[in-house]
Amino acid sequence: MVKSTSKDAQDLFRSLHSAYSATPTNLKIIDMYVVFAVFTALIQVAYMALVGSFPFNSFLSGVLSCVGTAVLAVCLRIQVNKENKEFKCKTIVTNLGGIVAMFVIAV
Amino acid sequence: MMNLSRSVALISLFLLPLLSFSFSVDNPTDRRVLVLLDDLSLKSSHSIFFTTLKSRGFDLDFKLADDSKLALQRYGQYLYDGLIVFAPSTERFGGSLDSKSIADFVDSGRDLILSADTSASDLIRGIALECGVDFDEDSSAMVIDHSSFSVSDGDHTLIAADDLVKSDAILGKTKIEAPVLFRGVAHSLNPTNNLVLKVLSASPSAYSANPSSKLSSPPQLTGSAISLVSVMQARNNARVVISGSLQLFSDRLFRSGVQKAGSPNKYEKSGNEQFATELSKWVFHERGHLKAGSLVHHRVGETDEPAIYRIKDDLEFSVEILEWSGKSWEPYVADDVQVQFYMMSPYVLKTLSTDKKGMFHTSFKVPDVYGVFQFKVEYGKLGYTTLSLSKQIPVRPYRHNEYERFIPTAYPYYGACFTTMAGFFVFSFVYLYHK
Repeated sequence: MVKSTSKDAQDLFRSLHSAYSATPTNLKIIDMYVVFAVFTALIQVAYMALVGSFPFNSFLSGVLSCVGTAVLAVCLRIQVNKENKEFKCKTIVTNLGGIVAMFVIAV
Repeated sequence: MMNLSRSVALISLFLLPLLSFSFSVDNPTDRRVLVLLDDLSLKSSHSIFFTTLKSRGFDLDFKLADDSKLALQRYGQYLYDGLIVFAPSTERFGGSLDSKSIADFVDSGRDLILSADTSASDLIRGIALECGVDFDEDSSAMVIDHSSFSVSDGDHTLIAADDLVKSDAILGKTKIEAPVLFRGVAHSLNPTNNLVLKVLSASPSAYSANPSSKLSSPPQLTGSAISLVSVMQARNNARVVISGSLQLFSDRLFRSGVQKAGSPNKYEKSGNEQFATELSKWVFHERGHLKAGSLVHHRVGETDEPAIYRIKDDLEFSVEILEWSGKSWEPYVADDVQVQFYMMSPYVLKTLSTDKKGMFHTSFKVPDVYGVFQFKVEYGKLGYTTLSLSKQIPVRPYRHNEYERFIPTAYPYYGACFTTMAGFFVFSFVYLYHK
């Protein structure tokens, strides 16, 4: 029983990994950026847990800027992903450059 | 016409020097003293005491207590700076004197020596009561001590007392070796009254009773609760000495030798003369009189006094205190003067250090509380005048541009923001131009 569940977990992980490697490179770049931003936010939360929340304003600005840029990157990923036909959002321009420009302005 | 105005000018010129012969802020020792006696023979029987006073520069004016021309003031000005009442049996003073006018005299800052004796009248008791001293109600009672009496006496009423208060200001630097001889009435002080003080107390074996009749009930005043000589320093620094014995100041007791019963020490001369002289020096402000200059405070490194301090400022505080030596103002030296930085309660309490030239100074940091504070110096040492000085100063919090520019503990957050910016910049390039 145990052996089969661990084998299932391994099979699951392998199938996810192979499916993910099939995604296009530009989406992978966006994913890396999101992971970097969230990781920076987590480091700051760990630091705050360590030394206390004295300059709480600084803590908030650090964490929220990281989380905000992660959220905007996810939005970009949604709009750029070719498999998302139902997400043809009402953007004025539909080419890649326009979408990226919107992301830049949002940040 | 011309002659009249010229003579008036000449007379006023002669009167002008007389106006300087009184005590003032710059010269606190009393000058003119009125001595009230109920019997002019006291002038000769207490001549040593009066001569020592005169030799120290006092201007003594001897009058009988029922003299009808007695007056302490004329046209609102006091004629005397000190009053000695050696009239224990006087029922009523003459002239315009009564217990209320003597109370007003002390209220104006002037000093008093009051002495009762075995037949103290109600008037004298009333004046003593105004000053916080309670004489024994029994008018025939005297202080009797069966173990602390002088051996030259027969009926144990001549007390040899050596329980003196420990104060260099009141009794002088030299220790009084010989016991002080006392024969008179007892008084007690209210223990909650913090203005009166026992200078000469009776021994624990003393009691107050009529020596010629048998005791029917235990005496009310006993032991060291009995005070033989007390002093009072009023809140306006007027000084009053109240003694239960007029004989304490007499020549006979000044000159007599003393041997306390039960003690082998025989003294050639009693301690009375030294005691009375030192006490009179204290009462007439020749010793123990302090004067303080204004409080000076400023930030460290500046000299001007600011109108407002900021929290966590470093400041320096100093005050000048002088002591009257009898002839001139000398620097006061002590190590227990304290300053409080006070707002409803003292936030800072520091002992001032002295440079031995009269300046007391300290420095401290303003506390992290804002509001209106006071620098308070409240000094009440035994035997010295009370100093009560205060100066108000507000304290403000930081202005918006006085905070530190970058908080060190927040450096990781600053770093995170900058790395996010750099990451975004790199990401946008990579995303747009990757192949």
